[in-house]
Order: sequence, then C-alpha cells, then structure tokens
Amino acid sequence: MKISYNWLKDFVDIDIKAEELASKLSVSGFEVEEVVYQNEHLHDVFVGKITKIDKHPEADRLQVCQVDVGDKKVQIITSATNVFEGAVVPVSLDGADLVNGVKIKPTNFRGVPSEGMFCSGEEIGIDENYIEGGGVNGILILPNDMKIGAKIEDALLLNDVIFDINVTPNRPDCNSVIGIAREVCAIYNKPFKDVCYDYKTVNKKVEDYISVDVKTDKCPRYMASYIENLKLTRSPLWLRARLNAVGIKPINTIVDITNYVLIEQGQPMHAFDYDNLEGHKIVVRQAKEDEEIAVLNGNTYKLNKDDMVIADSKKPVVIAGVIGGTNSCVQKETTKTVFECAVFDLKSVRLTSRKIGVMTDSSLRYSKGVYLSTPIKAIKRALNLVSTLNCGDIVSGIIDVCKNKEEKERVIYGSISKIDKILGVKIDGDRVLQILNSLGVKSTLNGDKLTCHVPSYREDLECDNDLAEELIRIYGYDVYNNVDGVAFENSSVTVGAYEPRLVLENILKNQLVDDGFYETLNYSLYSGTACEKLLINDERKNVIKIANPISEELSTVRTVMAHALMLDIKFNLSVGNKDLRFFETGRVYLPKELPLKELPIENNRLSIAVCEDGYDFFMLKNVVENLLITTSCEYTLERSTEPYLHSGVSADIIAKDGKKIGYFGKIHKKVLKNYDINHDVYYAELDTDYLASLPEKKFAVKEISKFPVVERDIAIVVDESVTNADLTHAIKSACGKIFDSVELFDVYRSEQLGENKKSLAYKIRLMSEEKTLTSEEINAVINKVLKGLEFRYHAKLRV
Amino acid sequence: MKEKLDLILQNGKEQIEKCDNLKELDEIRVKFLGKQGELTAILRNMKEIPAEERKTVGMLANVVRENLEKALSEKLAILEEEALEKEMEKEKVDITMPSKGVKKGALHPLTKFNNKFMDICVAMGFTVIQGPEIDTDYYNFEALNVPKNHPARDMQDSLYISDNIVLRTQTSNMQVHAMEKMKPPFKIVCPGRVYRNDDDSSHSPIFNQFEALVVDENIGLKDLMKMIDVILKKLFGEDVKMRVRPSYFPFTEPSIEIDATCQMCGGKGCSLCKGSGFSEVFGAGVVNPKVLEMSGIDSKKYSGFAFGPGIDRSVMVTNKIPNIKYLYRNDLRFLKQMR
Repeated sequence: MKISYNWLKDFVDIDIKAEELASKLSVSGFEVEEVVYQNEHLHDVFVGKITKIDKHPEADRLQVCQVDVGDKKVQIITSATNVFEGAVVPVSLDGADLVNGVKIKPTNFRGVPSEGMFCSGEEIGIDENYIEGGGVNGILILPNDMKIGAKIEDALLLNDVIFDINVTPNRPDCNSVIGIAREVCAIYNKPFKDVCYDYKTVNKKVEDYISVDVKTDKCPRYMASYIENLKLTRSPLWLRARLNAVGIKPINTIVDITNYVLIEQGQPMHAFDYDNLEGHKIVVRQAKEDEEIAVLNGNTYKLNKDDMVIADSKKPVVIAGVIGGTNSCVQKETTKTVFECAVFDLKSVRLTSRKIGVMTDSSLRYSKGVYLSTPIKAIKRALNLVSTLNCGDIVSGIIDVCKNKEEKERVIYGSISKIDKILGVKIDGDRVLQILNSLGVKSTLNGDKLTCHVPSYREDLECDNDLAEELIRIYGYDVYNNVDGVAFENSSVTVGAYEPRLVLENILKNQLVDDGFYETLNYSLYSGTACEKLLINDERKNVIKIANPISEELSTVRTVMAHALMLDIKFNLSVGNKDLRFFETGRVYLPKELPLKELPIENNRLSIAVCEDGYDFFMLKNVVENLLITTSCEYTLERSTEPYLHSGVSADIIAKDGKKIGYFGKIHKKVLKNYDINHDVYYAELDTDYLASLPEKKFAVKEISKFPVVERDIAIVVDESVTNADLTHAIKSACGKIFDSVELFDVYRSEQLGENKKSLAYKIRLMSEEKTLTSEEINAVINKVLKGLEFRYHAKLRV
Repeated sequence: MKEKLDLILQNGKEQIEKCDNLKELDEIRVKFLGKQGELTAILRNMKEIPAEERKTVGMLANVVRENLEKALSEKLAILEEEALEKEMEKEKVDITMPSKGVKKGALHPLTKFNNKFMDICVAMGFTVIQGPEIDTDYYNFEALNVPKNHPARDMQDSLYISDNIVLRTQTSNMQVHAMEKMKPPFKIVCPGRVYRNDDDSSHSPIFNQFEALVVDENIGLKDLMKMIDVILKKLFGEDVKMRVRPSYFPFTEPSIEIDATCQMCGGKGCSLCKGSGFSEVFGAGVVNPKVLEMSGIDSKKYSGFAFGPGIDRSVMVTNKIPNIKYLYRNDLRFLKQMR
C-alpha cells in the first residue's frame, strides 16, 4: 500500500529521513518494499516567466526566449508553439535529469546559446488530471500567481516521498494513513495529532431526503449523508497532490473527497447522484439471480444471490464494496449527492470481487476488513472536507443503520512474567506501558497484572502472546543479538531421530548414486492421460482429480511414478542427453473410494529408469537385488503383470507375505511409442513404505570351515523352457549337506545344440565342515547331480 | 695352487663384473661354482693336495667361493632390479586416459540440502517425521488458526480435492498431527512437499518446506532466535548475517520473518535479493496458544515455537542455480553438475 510522507505528517510531528523511517517501519512489522522520491527527477527545474520572445535569426521554427527564473535571467531556445510573452512555465536548467531520461546542458542552436529547456507536463511526470495544461502536447503553462524562481517541486507540490508498505492481514487498520501514523507515533514515541472532523450543516434533515433499508446480514453498518448545491470543480492542488502521490487520479471535489477519506481513514466511500436514485431510497440487499449492472469500468456484470448490491427502489446502483454503477454516479451535472460510508462482510466482497475479476481500492480494503467503528469518523471527515472546500451544503444529520451501535470497550489482562517468558528477555515495566500507550492501547500495571484497554481497531489483540509481539516489535528484535545463552537452556533434553523410511531411502539413494544414477524431482500432479499412456487399466486408473486444477497437465494426483520418469527420459533424449540412469523417491496417492470421502493412502515408492546403450534386464536385476539385500526383505520373483512392462522381460517382486512390493523390467514397446521414445527403457519400482516397515536386518555369522572348498564345473544341455532356478535348485538338493554354492557362468546356444535347446555351465562348490573331501566323494556327488538333472529335466552333459 | 685359486677369483670377479644379463650370470655361476665348475674341481681334488697344505688351500678355496657367491648375488640383485625396471617401463600407462567402470551419479540438490538440514536438527534433538500431503481442511487450516474467511482458503490459492480435502498448502499441517500424536516435550521437523494454486516464472505449484516445531515448558522467542542463529550458520556458513522482521502467521504469535545474507551474491546485492543483500529464509514464531489448545495441549503449562522455511530458494542460492525451474526439469546437464 502506498503511503505519502507528507500526509503522515498531518498526524505526527516528524522530520527524519525517509530511508530511516522506512527501515524503522520494516523492523517494526510494516515492511517497506520501496521508497519513491517524487522529486527524484525534478532537481534543477524552476518556475520561470517568459519576458521576451524573438525569432531565431537562422531558423524559422525556433524562438529565442528571455526567461526570468528568479535570481537570474536565462535565454532559452524553444520550438514549442504554445509559449507567449508573460507565460509562466517550468524551466529545466543545467544539470536537470528529467523523468523521460532527458539531461539538460547549455547548448547552442545554430549559433544562438540556450541555457535550458521548457518542460511539458509529461516531462515533469504529471498529466491533465493533476493540473490544467499538464496533458497538452506542448509546454505546461502554469498559473500566473506562481512564485517565479521557485523550485517546481515546491510550486506544484511534487515534493512528497511515497512508501510502498506491505501490511500484514492481521492489521487491516493500517491500510490507511491514520493507521500507519499511529505506528510511527509508537516507534518514535510521539503524540498522535488527529485532523479536524467538524463541519457546517444547513438546517434540513437528512431523513427528509433519503432512506436506507438494509435487507442483508452482510452489511453490519450503513451510514449515509446528503449534500446539495454541489460545486463540482477541480479540487485544490494540495488535495490533488495527495491523491496523485498515492496513485489516484483526481477527478472533482466530491469524488476526490471520497478517495481522500479512503486513503486517509481506510474507509471506502461512494457518492451517488441523488437525482438518479429512484425513490430516493437506498436498499442494501443480495442481488437477484442474473441481475445485471453496468459499472464504471465500462463493463456489465451478471450477478446472483451470493453478490451484494446497493439498489434504489428499482435497480442495483453499486456492486457493494466493489464498484459503482454508471446509472447513479456523480457526474458533471450532478447537483445533489448522497455519501455512502458502510461496512460490508469481507468474504462477500472478496468473493464477488474475485468472481467478476474487479479489484478496486475499495474492494481491496473491504476484503481485508473494515472495522464497525471506522465509518463514524470517516463520514465526518468527508463532510469536514466538503465544508473546507466549500463545495456543497451539508444537510443536517447522518443516517446510521447498525445493529450494534454501542461499542463496548474491550479490556484484556496480561501478565508481565508470562510475557517475559514468551520473549525470553525482560522489558522494564515503564517501557511496557509506554509502548502500549503509544500504540493507543491504554494500559496500567499492577504488580504482574497488565490491564489493557484495547481500541476497536485492534481486534487482533487478545492474549499475552499478542501483547508480547507488540512490545518486542517496537522494543526491537536487535535485543537478541546482545542476549547471552543458547536455545533450550530452560527446557528438556530430547533425543533426535530420523523417520525409518528416510533412513532407508537415503541408503538406497546413495547406493544408486554410486551405481551411476541421478536423482530426479518431478511434480506429483500430472495429466489425466498418464494411465492411458502406460496402458494401465486397473484400480490405479481411479485417480484423484483436483477440483480447481491449474491446467490439464496438473489436473490429477499421481497413482503411478513411471509417467514422470518417462517424460524425463523423453525430454533428455530430445535435448541430446544420453546414458540416462534416473531414480526418484516420491508418493503415489491411492483413493480408497471416489469421490474421496476419507484421505487416500499415500504410498512412498522408489522408481528407477534407465535408457542406455547396452543395458539389459539382468543389469537392472542386479541393481534391484543390491537394493533389496540392504533390507531384511525376503522375496521371490514372478513374471510381472505390470501392463507397461514387456511381459517376457519383467518380474514382479513378491514378499514372503504374498504382497507385491515392486517390479522391474523392460518398458512395453507400445508404451515407448506412446511417449515417442525410440530407445529401450528399463524401469523398476519398489514400495519403500513396505521395506521400511520390515525389521532391521539381523546377522548371525556361521563359523568358517577349516576344510577346503572344491570346485567342479559342469555344462548341460536342456530345453529352453527349463529355468535357471529349476536347475540350481535341483543341483543344491542333489549335493545335500556338502553343498556350498552354485553359479551359472555361461549360457550357450547353437545350431549344433538344436532348436529350442540351450547349454548352461555351472560352477559347483562343495565343502564339508568335518573333513577334506576325497575325489571319490566329490565324483559321487557330481554324478548324483547329473543323474538328477537328467531325470527331472532331461539334461544331457555337454561334451 | 694358491695362484690358481687367486686366478679363479680374479677371472670370476671380472666376468661377473662385465656380465649384463641374467642368463650369462647363471652361466658364470655354473662355470665357476657348478658341479663341473673350476672351483668345484679344485675342491673335489683336495685329497691330492699334500696334507699340510690341505687346510690352507681348503680355507682359501672357501674364501674364493664365498667371494664369488657374494659377487654373484650382488650382481643378481642389480640385474633383477634392472629387469623389473624395464618391465615396468614397458607397462607404463597414460594416466590421463579415462577411468573405467560406472561413473558416480548424484543426489538431487534438494535432497542434499534437506539431508544437511535434517542432520543439524537431529543433532539438536529433533525427530524427523512425515505425514500426509493430502489432508483435511482441519489440519491444513482450521487447527492452525487460519480463520474460515482467510484468503488462503480460497480456491484461488489452494488446490482442493473436495470442500473438505485439500492438497496441503504448508507443512504446518504436521504441527497439528505431531501435537495430537506426541506428548510434550517434543521437537519435530518435517521436510515435505506443499501445493499452491500458482504457476508462473517465479512460482511452482509444488515446492518444498521444512517445518519445525518445539513444544515444551519455558519455550520462548529467545530459544527460537538462538536456534535459528545456529541453523543459519551451519547451513550457510559462520559469517552469515541475520535480520529479523516482525510478520504475521495465524498459527504463531509473535511471528517473524528471518532474512539471511543472500547466498547468491554473498550480501553484495543482486537481482535475486533486489539489491538488499538479504533474502528471506524463514517464517517463524512462538506457537499461538490457541493452536496448542486446539490440539489438546495445555497452553498454561506448555509453549512452543515453530518455523517453516521454503527450501527451494535456499537450494537455488546455495548451489548458485540460475533458474528455479531447473529444480524440476531433470535435465542431465543440470543433474551432472551436482556430482
């Protein structure tokens, strides 16, 4: 919110550097995002009077002007056509650096020296609204009565400093000059001086002219007053300067007054053209279904019963708190007006404002909250300005429709010792009282007990914590820089710990990193078409949809991890990256039923994807095995049922309890096509919640045998359908007690072996724990192995 | 005889001296000391030497043999050393050739940052917990004292599943879950994803926060300030400067924002910190007693503090990542730089 420094000075006697004030406001809770000096580009610009104009001897289009700029006379050459002898104009001299980037230096026009330049309104940053002539395409002709030689910033009241302040939502009272002024008073311990709220009335009664009927509970207060014999002129410069400083366009006295009060008091106001209020009646009500209103921004909006309007006896005239209608606004011809000064429900205003996409200074303030008491002073201030500007006759009396007019003063009690505890530092009792009182919270201290009379605009103050905040932000957080001690010195010792799943995930992640994998990070929202692309047709198709999605791409909550990694691979290939080994930990969100009645299951997964030349299923299998061996998981492999994996080159990982805890394999060709990837992709996924739920892996080390291990290699020929698992299992059982291990070390196929045949070579290790095995014993076991394999799998020894 | 032995010694030594390869050296050994060797022949014919000379000649012959053996073994050592040198010279590799095997990958910078942050907090007695990202209105808003009409509750800011179920907009929902499940005293942290209805050049709809909550007797703002001082130093280095601004969050009172020296420019001022040299890292505050009470904690006995920084920006500045969108683009050219 923009706050003018000059305006603040109406309420507090202060004369410090703007930068310093800005930093003080920031550290006390009102972050100043920007400080703008209105005169930044106005130095070396003065009010001058053209005393004589001659034609340039060498150029028809140029005029040579003699100019009085107070303490000196200068000669200026101009090509402007609207200057004349006696004209008072802004003159920029050597050193000026105008808003549009023009820098002024003495120069020479065809042999005739020129010491500066006359300025247009634009060149000094103002327009027609600010001053007559400010918008003309030529030199700004100033009023004759301006002091010659004065700095232009002083003459045109462009000497303000504007603070752009970020007001937190708990302090709607500070969306006003008056609110910020109270803070400044507290910061600098200065008295708050209020402005004048007096006004003159004519001896008529407001009730005889206008009636107000509030038919909705969303308007807790509606105040109105009536003014006749309006003089709708340009407001005086000081008022225009104030509005201009905070970015509001001056229009005419009445409209400017409503805006002035809005900025100063934080109270939005509206002025009606009385003659256009049919029945001279104001009705505050909810809009009818599809009720239409044309408003001041040029648009027409269709409303419904959720929107509140101000209406006359026939039609809506204002979208309450948001924007006024064209049918009843104050215009040039208006001679009588009704001021509206009301409180509307903040949520109602916010929703309507957002629905129709209209944000105004009024709707922004209502959305943040206007206090029930604010209109009382505000309307008086508006009437005071009417009196001051002498722009109309105020009819006696103010209509006030309000259920709870009687405002009870709120008293809260605090405890100094509790506050000290909250802050961890002690603030002296006198200082406590001084800070609270300067904030407008009249307080007394009796022993430990603090009694605080809270003004109505400080609804946010309720308990010790609130008081503690008020104290420390004014006292200054710097105090902690000088306080000794460490955190938790007066509290318990606690033992830190990680969540088990994070511990496991980190182990697995580091293992993958060592194996050349990169961790990715994807959104957990994706397009509704993800399952389709992955050929998924099971319960994972029941995705949770976002009611108000940002885009289709982010419209559903993911039930599968693979989609994002496929897109990552696609993206990386498209930019020429190769040898992609990715992994990611994240969640899938599985609804128990749709639409969602209770919270979904959030299942943590580790997903792995590889797209690399020469990569194969067994390399991926090795990765998965190495991950699983870190855990205590016991599992078997089955042919995978995952729809997006190649049915012949994939496996499901089945835990001892029958639960499918992961899978791995080659991505289905159709899926690759759906993602437009023309390279094989290998993919694996593990349920990390399940793995983390397993007991810690325990070790019980066997004694190492004193006797040697013997190795025998065998190569056998079997049908393709016989699996490695079949054979190793048979070998193990045939070896019996002296079995140590068996390892497949070669697979061979050839025409000689015949179609549908393969040769597998195993290294069998045998060992006894009781003695050194003799070659007879070994041969006997190997023969038993071969016979067994022949019997069960028709295996032939390869020679 | 003595002359003969001297001659053998002299010849032997000369030949050994001249010898420059192992094969020849072995021939020399055989020639002098082998079964048919010159010295062996003398020793074998000992009995033909007169008895009175035999002892002297015997001793002399042994001296000659020892000398030759010594010379041989010394020469052998030299030649073996030379041979090894040669062999190694042949095996010499170009050490600038690329290494073999799998090249290490990398963790995502966000994981690295979170891990560092968690380590600091766990060492200070915090327990890391995790919880739901899809949560009810109660946990995400109401129990955190976010009033019903607060703008944050509008559809414009939050992503809703239904009227009552929302994608959490802050990890602060974990404060409520923790307070319901755990008995004071406790200290928890919760790194996690949060969601907002926001997607433009400087906002992601999904980003990461790192929630922390302490509930115990005698917890106050001083504990918070002292702890944050430690955390900032550990995260960003001992010379980091900290700035405190009062702020507002419905669930803390007093509430503050903590700025730290901008890690992108080291405090010199850059486009990211808008020239201020500081960037915002934490929202924090003393837990609002209403929030404690709503979750069944006696606010007369216990107090607490909480902080919840957004992580993405810190990850960005500590790694000098030029564009926040890099974090979620998963471009190998970015990820490789995190090794």
